[in-house]
Amino acid sequence: MIWEIIQKSLEFIAEEMGIVLKRSSVSPNIRERNDFSCGIIDEEGRILALAEHIPVHLGSFKVMAKNCIEYIQELEEGDVLLFNDPYISGTHLNDLTLARPVFHNNKLIALTLNKAHHVDVGGPIPASINPNAKTIYEEGLIIPPVKIMRKNEIIKEVIDLIKSNFKVPSAFVADLKAQIAASINGEKRIKELIDKVSLDEFKEANYKAFNYSKRIVEKNLSEFRGYSCNAEDYLELEEELLTIKVKININDKFSVDFRGSSKQIERPLNAVYGVTFSSVSFALRCLIRDYLPLNEGFYEIISVNADEGTIVNPKKPAPVSAGNLETSQRIVDAIFKALATIMPNKIPAAGCGTMMNVMMGGIRNGEFWSYYETIGGGSGARPNKDGVSATHTNMTNTLNTPIEIAELEYPLLYTIYEIRRNSGGYGKYKGGDGIVRGFKITERATLSIISDRFRIRPWGLNGGGQGERGRNTLIRNGIPKEMPSKFTIELIQGDEVIIETPGGGGFGEK
Amino acid sequence: MDKLVAIDIGGTFTDIVIYDGKIKIRKIFTGNNPETLVDSLIKEFLDFKILHATTLATNAILTRQGLPRVAMITTKGFKDVIEIGRQNRPKLYDLFFEKPRPLVEEEMRFEVNERIDSRGKILAHLDHNELNEVLKRIKSKEVQVIAVCLLNSYVNPEHERTIASEARKSFEYVSASYEVANEPREYERTSTTVINALLMPILSKYLARFKQVYVMSSAGGLVDKHEAIQRPVQLIESGPAAGVIASAELARILGIKNVISLDMGGTTAKASSILDNTISITSEYEVAGEVHHGRIIKGSGYPLRFPFIDLAEVSTGGGSIIWKDKEEALRVGPISAGSYPGPACYRLGGQNPTITDANLLLGRISDEISGYKLDKAASIKVLSKLGDPYRISRDALSIANLELARAIRLVTIERGYDPIDFHLFAFGGAGPQHACFVGEEIGIRKIVIPPMPGLFSSFGLLLCDEKYELRGRPKDNLEESFEELEKELEHKLGKVDYFERYADMKYKRQGWEIIVKIPSPCSEKEAYELFEEIHMKNYGFKLEEKIEIVTIRVFAVIKKRLKVEDLIEYSIAGHEVKKRLVYLDDLQEIPVYPRAFPMGTEIEGPAIIEEYSSSTFIPKNWKARIIELGCILLER
Repeated sequence: MIWEIIQKSLEFIAEEMGIVLKRSSVSPNIRERNDFSCGIIDEEGRILALAEHIPVHLGSFKVMAKNCIEYIQELEEGDVLLFNDPYISGTHLNDLTLARPVFHNNKLIALTLNKAHHVDVGGPIPASINPNAKTIYEEGLIIPPVKIMRKNEIIKEVIDLIKSNFKVPSAFVADLKAQIAASINGEKRIKELIDKVSLDEFKEANYKAFNYSKRIVEKNLSEFRGYSCNAEDYLELEEELLTIKVKININDKFSVDFRGSSKQIERPLNAVYGVTFSSVSFALRCLIRDYLPLNEGFYEIISVNADEGTIVNPKKPAPVSAGNLETSQRIVDAIFKALATIMPNKIPAAGCGTMMNVMMGGIRNGEFWSYYETIGGGSGARPNKDGVSATHTNMTNTLNTPIEIAELEYPLLYTIYEIRRNSGGYGKYKGGDGIVRGFKITERATLSIISDRFRIRPWGLNGGGQGERGRNTLIRNGIPKEMPSKFTIELIQGDEVIIETPGGGGFGEK
Repeated sequence: MDKLVAIDIGGTFTDIVIYDGKIKIRKIFTGNNPETLVDSLIKEFLDFKILHATTLATNAILTRQGLPRVAMITTKGFKDVIEIGRQNRPKLYDLFFEKPRPLVEEEMRFEVNERIDSRGKILAHLDHNELNEVLKRIKSKEVQVIAVCLLNSYVNPEHERTIASEARKSFEYVSASYEVANEPREYERTSTTVINALLMPILSKYLARFKQVYVMSSAGGLVDKHEAIQRPVQLIESGPAAGVIASAELARILGIKNVISLDMGGTTAKASSILDNTISITSEYEVAGEVHHGRIIKGSGYPLRFPFIDLAEVSTGGGSIIWKDKEEALRVGPISAGSYPGPACYRLGGQNPTITDANLLLGRISDEISGYKLDKAASIKVLSKLGDPYRISRDALSIANLELARAIRLVTIERGYDPIDFHLFAFGGAGPQHACFVGEEIGIRKIVIPPMPGLFSSFGLLLCDEKYELRGRPKDNLEESFEELEKELEHKLGKVDYFERYADMKYKRQGWEIIVKIPSPCSEKEAYELFEEIHMKNYGFKLEEKIEIVTIRVFAVIKKRLKVEDLIEYSIAGHEVKKRLVYLDDLQEIPVYPRAFPMGTEIEGPAIIEEYSSSTFIPKNWKARIIELGCILLER
């Protein structure tokens, strides 16, 4: 079997794990919005294959594998390991990661990984992501790597302990089972694959795939070898601005240095190192237009220098829940802004730059419910054409929750879902337009929103205009009130919330 | 028994298989006016039942040509659902990505003030004056078709029903979502409804000319005229479905489990994989979408909620034009010379060299196919425009083989299957010339050339059952609910051979149903047990949750009367073996056999086996053996 078939098989197995997870899960965030990712690593923690799921998850797998290598190597056949500590797993507490070892002749040869966003992981706020958290302890339950399955038997005590801390325990248990099913499915398929070839052939194919990826990246970067560039971009925190500063060097490695970025803060915008690494790897991946397996060979080329104690590499117990939502988007913006100076034909103007995160929940018929949504915006205009309207950009690509599904599950009644016309920046090529999504609440609930680009608008390039800023409006008793980009509020029955997402920047003078 | 004729209209050739107790076959040029051709065939086969495959529906959506002017009516505030889609981008790492252009322009989306909640309760009543106003505005825009899709109409279709019936007073073609795809998720339902509406007048006008016709549906069954006009969305991919069914049937008889069907005609080639004798069906289909890992990329095309045979298609066929780009690189396709003017050797005025010209020049096909005389001098003339005609032909064929391999790749390697575990069934007029080379390219060692390869897909139409789908929501008693659907189908269709029952089931809070085959009779309890068994098998766990039956579905099956064995007759009368100069590494004389051998005959390559509808090329290192039903098994 040629190495390419083995590589493709592994990618396909990762995709298939995703399908199992999606199909058997219960929470709309996983089953409708596909907020999950799957991958396969080897016993040394090297990435073998990743499915094309959510970029911010994918790059974090690399950092996570390194952080938990000792735990992984102690696993036995039939175990499943669970964890969500962002300082290990590389994203935020909502992402529960499962690792399942794959053994061949009693030797550990690979692990299947999957990460899924559970809407509620405890803490003071419904849907856990807490705009006002000062430490990670206000963002939910922290789970270090623990076994939840031994010899294929669920360890009930551990699950019970976790379950008791989550506001919607039944959804957690059902989704966790779906994650376990995906892990086991992946394990089974990898074993079938190795039975068909041999372990030697399998290993050799992996090395060949690593080399292939590395060569492809080097080939694509060769014309920029020796170049360096820098830029900065900003996140908004009340009256303050937080800075993301990058200096990029392209040589043997694609290196990004974050020196000069803001110090970590007592608010959830800190991005753990895994998120920063993910953002850099996403930006690099976008520069390559050839077929490129995302494996160790690709990740080896990346070098990230982020000082400890900054918003791009905070120290515990800094809160981090929005780091992989908003900060990750801004890191990519800053990298692209820098790259645009050396590769002007390859980089679009800024996209909407926010995932527009909406977290809600409350008690209904005696039971807690919680809901998480992200809303797309405009993409930046490209050097040769307009941007795209109403789409997710850069670090996320989750689907929307269909209105009919959201209304079926939650006490919501949608009032509008439209394209926010003319919100894209002007220019020779126009930025894409954002989205307007509005709903009324039919029972009291807690609403939190974390968004950005309410003051510093998405930038244009080459004289193109900026995208329109984002806007949140609360209508209570018929009186509209403009809300900030990050807040938590108690809603009462009949309140209407209208969310308008930013447009993308324009490209070129009109 | 009825007299049957299968008519499969392709871009280049039209294949006709006639059964009136005996099989007769005919392959004719489609020409530049397929409708005239159809009319003359209808006249010829006046007292026949016509079984039909058509690419009309697919082509209409792919090219977006000849589509009627469409207006959409939806709930106020939600006219952009069709443009926003699911808000994802089809390509994760492509900064230059595009989303598919919405099927209804913004100014043709109309809103009405009405609202139904998720339980079906009417929150805002439809205002008839407003509706009439909207319909008047639509009328002024010279609209031909209307799609109606309101929020939550799948729970309570009352408003949609009213709008549809009002609209039908002034418009001939109205498609309401609850009639087309009665299930939740507003974007997918809207998209399906709009595509259905767009196709209605096209199919209705087209099918009006037939008296007794059954059309191939994408799910692999035939449907009658009424069903085809009311729900034309199921005719997307009608063309290729029959070839896949025929391959699966034939493979079962030959005792072959894993098959890749490769159907290469004049304009395109389609590949599909059959694993363990099971055709792969997908319900998450997107027309005009792109494929990644052997599956359609979500958001790259227009979603359709209907079962589809899973296929990969590349635009490489006998008529694909060979050309050179600005950098002087040799290219093949995607433009096809089609049926008119067709390849240069057809002498219909084609000025561009095609794959057929290259195959002719290299001697891989003879200068007569399906009764048509081919002009080799014309091929040489046009190929010479690009350089040495032999070298150009050889290189162009290699490029074409790579493209064909790509289609196969999408349905095997991209899904993690190794092609070596499969038999390739190669058919279509051009398939048998390319099969061995494609096999070498992608690592296939066993190839089957079915009988009548040039008309095999059309032949497949004779092997398909009629299948009519009806779905509904289950009521209190499951058995009675199924019986109700069955009665309705029986009432509509008359005699039905048997029914197939399915239930789409899930745990209450899951979002995706498992399709469970339900026995007859069946209690709710038994259905639940069946579901849990499949859930356990698929996912390895059960949940302490209520089980829900979301949709029940019945197929009324009217069985085909014919079996493969009835249809295949081949003569083993000896014919003269000829010799022909064929360009391999250089010009060589190789034997050319007519396809008429007793079972067990073996032929070593290089050689050619010729027949009416195609010609099979056996390169060096390949060996042909005649197996059951006159099939050729090629091995290396």
